[in-house]
Amino acid sequence: MSLAESLRLTLSRTQTRLSEDLLGPKGVIFALGVLFALGAPFFLRQFHLSVTLQILIFILAVSSWNLLAGYFGMFSFTHAALYGVGAYATVICAAEFGIPPVLALVIGGLLAGLFSLPITIPSLRLSGSYLAMVTLAFAEIIHLAVITFRDVTNGPTGYTGFAPMFGGDRIVFYYFVLVLVLALLLVQYALLVSRFGLIARAIREAEDAAQMLGNDTYRHKLVGFFIGSSLAGVAGGLQAYNILIISPPMLELNQMIQFMAMSIIGGLGTFSGAIVGVIAVVGVAELLRGVIEQRLLIWGLLLMLVILFFPSGLAGSATQRDILKQQFDGFTDRFSDTEERDK
Amino acid sequence: MVDLLLVIQQIFNGILFGGQLALVAVGLTLIWGVTRILNFAHGAMFMMGGYAGFLTFELTGNALLALPGAVLVVFVLGMVTEFGVVRRLRDRDNAEFAAIIGTFGLAVVLENVVRASALGSTRRTLPTIVPGVWEVGPFFFVAEQVYLFIVALAALGVLFAVIKYTRLGMAMRAVAQDQNTAKLMGVRSDRIYAITFGISAALAGLAGALLAPIFNIYPSVGWQPFLLAFIVVIIGGLGSVRGTLIAALLIGVLRSVSLTFTSSQQTSMLLFLAMIVILIVKPTGIGGVIDG
Repeated sequence: MSLAESLRLTLSRTQTRLSEDLLGPKGVIFALGVLFALGAPFFLRQFHLSVTLQILIFILAVSSWNLLAGYFGMFSFTHAALYGVGAYATVICAAEFGIPPVLALVIGGLLAGLFSLPITIPSLRLSGSYLAMVTLAFAEIIHLAVITFRDVTNGPTGYTGFAPMFGGDRIVFYYFVLVLVLALLLVQYALLVSRFGLIARAIREAEDAAQMLGNDTYRHKLVGFFIGSSLAGVAGGLQAYNILIISPPMLELNQMIQFMAMSIIGGLGTFSGAIVGVIAVVGVAELLRGVIEQRLLIWGLLLMLVILFFPSGLAGSATQRDILKQQFDGFTDRFSDTEERDK
Repeated sequence: MVDLLLVIQQIFNGILFGGQLALVAVGLTLIWGVTRILNFAHGAMFMMGGYAGFLTFELTGNALLALPGAVLVVFVLGMVTEFGVVRRLRDRDNAEFAAIIGTFGLAVVLENVVRASALGSTRRTLPTIVPGVWEVGPFFFVAEQVYLFIVALAALGVLFAVIKYTRLGMAMRAVAQDQNTAKLMGVRSDRIYAITFGISAALAGLAGALLAPIFNIYPSVGWQPFLLAFIVVIIGGLGSVRGTLIAALLIGVLRSVSLTFTSSQQTSMLLFLAMIVILIVKPTGIGGVIDG
């Protein structure tokens, strides 16, 4: 299949699936959410607007982790570190080399993707817990490197004092983030409903089977990891311009916990899961601001409760998996029928 | 040749440090070996042991009682963890991840519960039981470090004996090899899992209380030893208790010696790199070489 043809197929499939999904109840809620976000600067106070902005950026970071963990089954612990790499790369490109920030964001994303390669190329043949351990170690290396190489990163104090985007106009920045995040969500959506996404889920369910059906699973995982990490890098770049300081805690295990918590609380392996998770977690945290200071305590508790009692998360349902299973069962039934006939 | 003396001194220090490291790491590898679960709350058990020891000392005024107090409390905590969290996740399709997330969540909860409690984030410490420094020739030994090393070795010796010679140890090895067959042979695997978790946690708790006089105790104290133990466990070979012991001593020495030449961050980076290489090239680690 030529690239143009597969691209055309992907687009038509995205179109049909998108028109179906947008008319469903979840789609309507999503559309309302977008409307709210579009009008937010007109009726929200500054504080609430910055919370909305934060939610948007986290949605990008968490949905890209969901792409890896939820669809491919690759539990990357490097995600927060690459998010940090994107942040540093974007800001350093813009501040030190005078590259326009919008272009620097692209570079940051690509660099985060490239940074994933040293670990994915050798380790994607490992499975399950082993991949989690390798990526955890890699994340720690990046974190320590950021602290150690002070010339580039300013060490533990972090990087600050760089010029904000759009001359500091927060409203323009807000709309820029909104449009960019929506566009990148659409890209992920297209990827997931296309053949690529089907193969991703096949890899998650049974990698050997997917491979036997003629798919280069290793390459798909490599590309998937690259895309997911690049998106994390872009999210990191946006976050850097949002809070206007980057420091090593941005790459810490703590940040990784936050992303994982949001994704799992929302529902792993569902497109809406990342969005619901971020809104739920950040929303709860902001609601409880002042009431309970231990935000991480709430997140840890939520994480445990969800994993124990709602295995598919708040937004998740077992449907997707069931459809796959149905098809698979139908397939085996037909297969055994032919076998019997042959006898 | 002053450098050589320094290096030898650091090798001794490294061995002493390795003994303490082994105490934390063995628990981690034991859980993996028997239950195939990565316990991300292991560092939190270390921290809870430190606090249990501290509270025991506050209540009784006796620093010697701190150790058994810590062991007991954290043993129970480990059993409760298995019963309340891990057991519910074990039969899932994605049990590995579910358990990682569940124990991770528990670690975050424990850390922040302590932080929110009356204990707060204040650094606590236990008094030294064996003060003083011994001079042997040109070398110095902090008496406390030596005592810690001896207690750690004794605890590990008891653990080895239990695994090797008792019925409980035999049941643990049976469950580790094949859960279903062990069950058919009348081993109550659920109980074995809980006890294994308890023992593993108790070892971490003991380490926490032992190291309290040196490192202080604070809510997030467990992550550093957890990550180090993690490296040790991987290099030693997941699930191999003997491999872990050797790896702990090796890494203890490596770390001490390299600390004289480079910063602790660079040392840790090298260790993590070694961990990645081992995972990719020989996932069975040292244990795969000596056991197999």
